[in-house]
Amino acid sequence: MPAQRDSALSAPAVSAAFQRWTIVVALVAIWLVVPWFISRTVVDMLVFTGLYTIAGLGVAFLLGQCGIVSLAQSVFYGIGAYSTAYCALQLGWPATAGVALGAGLSAAIAVLVGWPVLRLSGYFLALATLALAIIGHVLFLEWDWLTGGTLGIGGIPPIALSGFELNSPVRFYYFLWPIVALVVWMHYNLLNSRTGFAMRAMRDAPAAALVLGIDTHALKVKMFVLSAVLGSVAGSLFAHYVSFISVDSFGVDRAINFLLIAVLGGAKTIAGPILGALFITVTPHALSRLGDIHALLFAACLILVVIFLPGGFGGALRDLVRRLGRRRRR
Amino acid sequence: MAPILEVRGVSHSFRGLHVLRGVSFSVPAGAIVGLIGPNGAGKSTLFNIISGFLPPDSGTIVYRGTDITRQPIPARSRAGLVRTFQTPQVFQHLTVRENLMAGCYKQGSSGVLRDLIALPGSRRDVRAMAGAADEACERFGLTDVREQLAGKLPAGQQRLLELARAAVSGPSLLCLDEPSSGLNSQEVASLMAALERLNRDGMSILLVSHDMDLVAVAPEINVLCFGEIVSRGSLEQVRADARVREAYLGV
Repeated sequence: MPAQRDSALSAPAVSAAFQRWTIVVALVAIWLVVPWFISRTVVDMLVFTGLYTIAGLGVAFLLGQCGIVSLAQSVFYGIGAYSTAYCALQLGWPATAGVALGAGLSAAIAVLVGWPVLRLSGYFLALATLALAIIGHVLFLEWDWLTGGTLGIGGIPPIALSGFELNSPVRFYYFLWPIVALVVWMHYNLLNSRTGFAMRAMRDAPAAALVLGIDTHALKVKMFVLSAVLGSVAGSLFAHYVSFISVDSFGVDRAINFLLIAVLGGAKTIAGPILGALFITVTPHALSRLGDIHALLFAACLILVVIFLPGGFGGALRDLVRRLGRRRRR
Repeated sequence: MAPILEVRGVSHSFRGLHVLRGVSFSVPAGAIVGLIGPNGAGKSTLFNIISGFLPPDSGTIVYRGTDITRQPIPARSRAGLVRTFQTPQVFQHLTVRENLMAGCYKQGSSGVLRDLIALPGSRRDVRAMAGAADEACERFGLTDVREQLAGKLPAGQQRLLELARAAVSGPSLLCLDEPSSGLNSQEVASLMAALERLNRDGMSILLVSHDMDLVAVAPEINVLCFGEIVSRGSLEQVRADARVREAYLGV
């Protein structure tokens, strides 16, 4: 039996790198050609999928790797959006400055709030982050001198790359997805690093992690900051893409959507958040043709996914790949 | 020899119930010291105080000449004080090898930002962790189960894994809480051999157990009973002690 397993390990070891590059090349090809074959509406949905992937990934690694349920992502999404809107419209700064300011602000707030709140765990922590989302929403609504309240802020200029304006869904799509790929690559790196081991150790057995010298509280705060920065960057990009933002985009329902991306996609897998974001974007749109019943159908879809795919889409995909791989080897 | 650990007059009570009353003992550097006692003697409380999971009401814990009574657990770990748990705390969803890699956390240095973009230092750390983990698999006889999820292992192997993980983290003083519970006699024998080997390599060991057979590896044994050290000496000496007999046999 061991000999059999050894041969099975060594043969694909050569082809594993080849396989990985094949996948990368295929994904790049798909990224390049897809907009030629689909309507503007669908490209628009793919842009939102990309934005939600970035923000949802922040929630997913907190959930899957650190065991932290965060419902606060809508706040950082909002901070990112309002920061860049303020920079662009009031100060006339370029988008990069706005994105950086939003990320910096979000990181600072994540430290200040995370330090005390992350001493909690489980349901209490989830409720505390929910409270954060509610407070954030109220402040976005009340500080209308900054946010425009329910009326919102319009006329946010598109991102310009040395004069080339990203003012159409297709242009933004080509700009956005390499950023998504970069974020996913960093996520992959983190999972397979010393920090990644520390996170998973903390998730599985916090007491044992402490004993191994892992400062679990500091690690949680760092990861919360990282998650907030992702939420903020996604929010900033969103503001430049849609050019109009209002407080409706940064409510608790948005926070729940980001958590759904993590749960439905499968928080422990790399591809999970992308699939989760795709589901969250496409399903309501597809169901909306059916009329008023669409919200109910969406809820039914959620329940079905949770029951039949406990590992999320990412988990199901991973199992499928494993099963196919095993069959081929046989 | 100078003690690596000194427990000085530690007292603790839970809601008025005195669990520990002025307990003092020490672990000489390079020694194996046993701490035994019947259920409810206060062993676990004392152990939690030594390892930093519980602050004592009074008394001090001195490790290598430094008062560590109020030091956080990770700082104690970095100083070389590492413990195991009565119910093995393996990282369930990680493989045996990954558990041991996580055990090498302290030997690495790469931080979050470096890990995010996989700089050479980050990759070097992971390679070093993997190397140390493979070596530990060999040393503790875990190579056959290396790729299995730790949560799926039988209890005996989980315990062995926890010990191996504690050992790879490079402790100077290894504190073991009931390491033999749930093990069969053969496993206890190999555990004893492993402890003696670690001790020969220079590790001081504090062994907490109610298993008289296991603590035979410790030349010096402290007997804790109703929150007090009632006897101290070799296994024969404490076995002959009337108070120990009374505590264990209830006569």
